[in-house]
Amino acid sequence: MGRCCGKCWHSLEYPCRNYVRCRTEGPLCHDDQRCRTLRSERIRYIKEGPNGYRIKVPLASCSIAAGAKEVLNAVKEVVESLGIPSDAVKTVGCTGLCYLDPWLELKAPGMPVALYGNVKPAEVEGILKKYFLENDVSGAYAIGERTGKAKGEGDVPTLSELDVWRLQVRYVSRNCGVVNPESIEDYIAYGGYRGLDRALRMSPEEVIEEVKKSGLRGRGGAGFPTWLKWRICRNQPSKEKYVIVNADEGDPGAFMNRLLAESDPHRVLEGLIIAGYAVGATKGFIFVRAEKPLMAERLQKAVEEARKHGILGKNILGRGFDFDVEVILSAGAFVCGEETALIAAIEGRATPRQRPPYPAVVGLWGKPTVINNVETLAHVATLMAEGWESFAAYGTERSKGTKMFCVTGAVKRTGAYEVPIGTTLRTLVERIAGGVKEGRKLKAVQIGGPSGGCVPAHLLDTPIDYESLRDAGAIMGSGGIVVMDDTACMVDVARYFTSFIVAESCGKCFPCRIGTKILYDTLTRITEGEGTLEDLEILEGVGRVVRDASLCALGGTAPNPVLSTLRHFRDEYLAHIIDKKCPAGVCTKLLKYRINPDKCVGCGTCAKHCPAGAISRDEKSGKYVIDQEKCVKCGTCVTICPVNAVMKEV
Amino acid sequence: MVRVIVNGKEVHVPEGETILTALKKAGDAVPTLCFFGHMYREASCRMCLVELSNGKLVPACAYPVSDGLEVRTDTPRVREARRTVVEFILSIHRIRCWSCPRKGGNCELLKLATAYWVEGIPVCSSCPLYGKDCLVVKGEPCLGPITLAGCGDPCPSNGSPCIGCRGPVTRRDVLEAAAQFYVSNGVELKDVLEVASMFWEGLPNYDALKVSLEEAFKKALGGGTG
Amino acid sequence: MSEFNRGREALAQLLKLIPKETTPGALARDVAAKYGRERRYLIRMLQEIQSTYGYLPQEALRVIAKELRIPLTEVLTVATFYHQFRLEKPGEFVIMLCMGTACHLRGNAANYEFLRTYLGIKPGKSTTDDGIFSVEKARCFGCCSLAPVIMVVSRDGSYRKLYGGVTPAKLRRIIAEHRAKLARKR
Repeated sequence: MGRCCGKCWHSLEYPCRNYVRCRTEGPLCHDDQRCRTLRSERIRYIKEGPNGYRIKVPLASCSIAAGAKEVLNAVKEVVESLGIPSDAVKTVGCTGLCYLDPWLELKAPGMPVALYGNVKPAEVEGILKKYFLENDVSGAYAIGERTGKAKGEGDVPTLSELDVWRLQVRYVSRNCGVVNPESIEDYIAYGGYRGLDRALRMSPEEVIEEVKKSGLRGRGGAGFPTWLKWRICRNQPSKEKYVIVNADEGDPGAFMNRLLAESDPHRVLEGLIIAGYAVGATKGFIFVRAEKPLMAERLQKAVEEARKHGILGKNILGRGFDFDVEVILSAGAFVCGEETALIAAIEGRATPRQRPPYPAVVGLWGKPTVINNVETLAHVATLMAEGWESFAAYGTERSKGTKMFCVTGAVKRTGAYEVPIGTTLRTLVERIAGGVKEGRKLKAVQIGGPSGGCVPAHLLDTPIDYESLRDAGAIMGSGGIVVMDDTACMVDVARYFTSFIVAESCGKCFPCRIGTKILYDTLTRITEGEGTLEDLEILEGVGRVVRDASLCALGGTAPNPVLSTLRHFRDEYLAHIIDKKCPAGVCTKLLKYRINPDKCVGCGTCAKHCPAGAISRDEKSGKYVIDQEKCVKCGTCVTICPVNAVMKEV
Repeated sequence: MVRVIVNGKEVHVPEGETILTALKKAGDAVPTLCFFGHMYREASCRMCLVELSNGKLVPACAYPVSDGLEVRTDTPRVREARRTVVEFILSIHRIRCWSCPRKGGNCELLKLATAYWVEGIPVCSSCPLYGKDCLVVKGEPCLGPITLAGCGDPCPSNGSPCIGCRGPVTRRDVLEAAAQFYVSNGVELKDVLEVASMFWEGLPNYDALKVSLEEAFKKALGGGTG
Repeated sequence: MSEFNRGREALAQLLKLIPKETTPGALARDVAAKYGRERRYLIRMLQEIQSTYGYLPQEALRVIAKELRIPLTEVLTVATFYHQFRLEKPGEFVIMLCMGTACHLRGNAANYEFLRTYLGIKPGKSTTDDGIFSVEKARCFGCCSLAPVIMVVSRDGSYRKLYGGVTPAKLRRIIAEHRAKLARKR
């Protein structure tokens, strides 16, 4: 990354204006065929590996949890014995196809790229041998383009033939699973920091204009036009301004930001620097959750690398722009996702403020501050590099571009997928994520986390855009989508989300602090069989007021899960209240528990742990029996039985 | 100066002021609880909510005026919001009106509860008798601590114990504290029930109330279920 | 319910919960000095203290309050508000169960109850009597494809391991694994 030879005059003290372009097209400051060859060979080495050999292993949180480190060790052990150069092994981020974790991607010259899913360390040697020594791709999950030279090529689908890949538009996620996230050189080789380079050649006003033309709206959930937020901040007279990346990602069930930040952190950083330039800030912050440690580490590393190469600091790329970034660890509070609370968290305690004035006018330490989501900034970096038209080519009239969504829950293929806005839920859930598992029925799709709502199965053709989802009773949110099948109880789901909100409420205003607790207590009564029809009126009335009267969006969206499930799944509420039954078999207090005598081994563990002393040993059979009169329906016996002999009956 | 339309009336206020200033100028007050001038204007209590022309509810004490801003102070949504907020406050409020320093007509919560039709505060809150003038302290079975406020207290004001004409307070914790108050002043359950039966016999929840009072008194006397 | 009312419970009750440690406030003094005794770095100071002890000893909180010249209640409002901070000494190993949506739907609610029962953790507490295991709810690790997920960390934070697809049977094995680990260390 440094000087290629004595003739090159680039250094940190004298940053070269063409540094970024020089890295891929150069050298530009002097004309030397040998340097040029060296440079292009370096790029080829980065992109294709030594002599065209590549073994990619993912190292993101989800992959590591699935055992990627063990797979990596297995690869390292055998790689040389197979005659493959050891530097062919490259650690990358996550592609978003999390259901394949841990995966391996192999490439040899002349062979198609092959992707192997759910790899166990013991299988590594066999897989590598087959691919590299026998030129055989059978057993792979998918391959790249067919070359005609590999055995079994015809039987393995190409990625472009699979819906899960074909229907995605990987605009910001293009590098995820491709580059080494801990290497700035990789990022630049793949076209990184071109956006910053181009932005610094324009005036800040022109940068804002470019973002305006693209139509980018905040990807954190509110969907506020990014250019407008920047312009308001830019127009403030203060000399001190700040830009902050909201990498807090508090939504349970959403991990798009974590994925982006772990797999392509430089893209996010680039967006932040561009934002700083556009509004006139000299300091940026990355506010990241301590509970996602790898995300924080990779972002911190990206900042350090950027500093080393003059992308951060004084006189960036020789354009007279000073900017530096600090990574701040949040201590874990959902409300920090709210802008004013985030600012307050950096200042001390996270309680939101009444707006107006908005943070762009009065923000961190009273100065104008712009807060953007991780994905928004990744889009900024990409569209600045490729032009606003590349972004606006996708999406709908009112919401342009693509968005990443995490589809989890009862689907076959859980993962993070990027699609154009306006794609229908059905495409995302059934075609890309594969729909629900065999034998189950799709019941609802929950979008937007604790601030969102549940869309029932019959509304699955709703396009995913801000307005359509709002009409259906949900919100786009940050992109977390949880698919529920018939084993999910919608009242339990509403209670689960409300319990989350109750715990995360900051306590500043009455409606959220007290109202959400009333909602939670009412829902608990309903799930325990003590609900009345009046409770439904309480839920709706209190829900309305909490929604309209709360100080910030946490309280303002808190009733959404309750109100949307009441609207679309009222019959389930009525079953709990009138019939005292939980049709999905989830609410422990409404089920009957019986020990299956065929499975019972007579160990007595259940009796030992039964808090009501309702289980006793039948002397004749030696098996254990539950006394239904004494049973308090806690469900402990179900989970504690070592042989799963306790049955739940609706 | 900025033009603001309050309930259809035009007023002019300096730029940078909040809606509250405009409301005061127009003569249409809204209740506030947490607002304290420059010392506290964080819009926490949500009592001062007003409705904008786009349907949003915003706190008058913190929302800045802008030219042509239209606000309404008394729409059904605003009333529902304020009433529910008072209910929320009461649900966590420790009701001990017989010994509260705000007694005798100084209780802001009582004023709000009356204005928004929320029941739950006992007669003691507005009763002018305090300390050794209190009829319960004198040992009489005045039903003030367990009767809903709102009548204007003609009976206790004239030295006669409250007879419960507005109906009972039903919150268990208030009944238990009231029982303590009665017991510590030597008032017996049977005397309380004798007065209570005059107006409350025949009420659908009277039997349940009698049971609650019995349990409360038992607890206060120390031999209760606890 | 106490978990939800942490910030709201009477302060006296809260202080009763904090065990009286003989841990010196010396670390607290150093940490406060390191950040220039500025109030705005309070969260970072608390994070540093917790990374050493695995929780926030009462002694340290008192010293921080004194050094920053703010009331102890103000330090406690921050310490009790954020999910990351613990006021009770945790066990040698902390088992954190992800409470994300996918994990909840796939059984972590049941896993949580199971763990508490299996380890014999008394109501109102989160640590076993022998001080080896603590069971906590964590917000979301973002590994939803492996739901339900738990993470086991050591008290000083030096060890962390994530497990996916957790069932009561798997939990029994994980507990046994970690007991053995501890026995080997000692």
